[in-house]
Amino acid sequence: MAITVKTLWDEGAEKLSLTVIAGEQYLDRKLPETAMNRPGLALTGFFQYFANQRLQIFGLAEFTYLKSLSQSEKLKRLEDLFEQQIPGVVITRNRKATKEILDLAERFKVPVLRTPMVTMDFVNECTVLLEKLTAPQERVQGTCMELMGIGVLLRGDPGIGKSETALSLIERGYSLVSDDVTEVRLTSRGNLACWANEVTRYHMEIRGLGIIHVPSLFGVAAIRRQTELDLVIDLKQPTGDEDRTGVNPEYIEIMGVRVPCITLPVRSGRDMANIVEVAALNQKLKELGHDAAKELDDKIIYRLTRGRARNG
Amino acid sequence: MAEETLVKKFKVENEYGIHARPAALLVKAAGKYECDIFIEKDGNKVSCKSIMGLMTIEGYPGSTMQVTTSGGDAREAMNEIEELFVNKFFED
Repeated sequence: MAITVKTLWDEGAEKLSLTVIAGEQYLDRKLPETAMNRPGLALTGFFQYFANQRLQIFGLAEFTYLKSLSQSEKLKRLEDLFEQQIPGVVITRNRKATKEILDLAERFKVPVLRTPMVTMDFVNECTVLLEKLTAPQERVQGTCMELMGIGVLLRGDPGIGKSETALSLIERGYSLVSDDVTEVRLTSRGNLACWANEVTRYHMEIRGLGIIHVPSLFGVAAIRRQTELDLVIDLKQPTGDEDRTGVNPEYIEIMGVRVPCITLPVRSGRDMANIVEVAALNQKLKELGHDAAKELDDKIIYRLTRGRARNG
Repeated sequence: MAEETLVKKFKVENEYGIHARPAALLVKAAGKYECDIFIEKDGNKVSCKSIMGLMTIEGYPGSTMQVTTSGGDAREAMNEIEELFVNKFFED
């Protein structure tokens, strides 16, 4: 997913303490490579290999080097650099941009940003942000909750009771991430991060009540901005074909990531929140390496086959 | 449909006996029917609709289980349970 310098500016201005000091009207320049480059080598005049598609970071090293050059040499080197169609420049440590840089920014239509951050910190933070902005993303139908650190996505046909179940879970002290529509991002570690659409975030629709605002009613502890998906629970009308032992767990794929998936039959009067809570706890236990269903089955098989030896 | 009670004996012929998977198959099959279904071995009698019951009955490979079905659909239920035993719970 290609982004522009503006995307970085919009999302990261606050976090990275960025200000635009030149070329504000050129912020919509594309950022083809979501990485950063220290242009020190290019400033010495070496362009055989130059990552011109990346954001160029001017830190202490670049400025100190520029200072060692004569005025005409300095201008020439900077000109050579800006000619490479770089997407943007970031000046760290709040260094003052030289007049040459500001003029060249206008001439070559390159946005120049500045941050008080130390170069290394900026590069680290910015890398994380860029990765977040460019990671594959999908919108899935389902209500997302976090229970004791376990991210659970509740899915099911409209009216089956996803929001009602979520509401009961909130009353039990767990947190809502998103109601009915969940944004999912594939992280670089291969996990799925879930969060809510900005506009409808922390609102829920409850049949018969309409729209409610969860933190206003239940407090800020009832919401969570983002969670990592650990378990998908499908709420379904009972078919009689439900899993009875959990010995062969099922999985579904979301953006190529395998996620454990449980199908829960919904009957009137059944306390779904309680069952979802236990499912999340059980998932936590499994992640700790303790699979109750499998261990019991192994124990039974051991006893049964030992019995065979005894009975001849 | 006439109420009736059927009793049949089956041998457990799969490799591991009645562990979780066969127990789940029996419970699922039994759950489809209205009638009462019990499984009995060595004086232990449990409902065939209870997975925990089936896992405690110690259905060793080679052991013999007595199945009792009673109610309106006893015959159909017995047929389906017989299928499972005869086909070794579709294992191997």
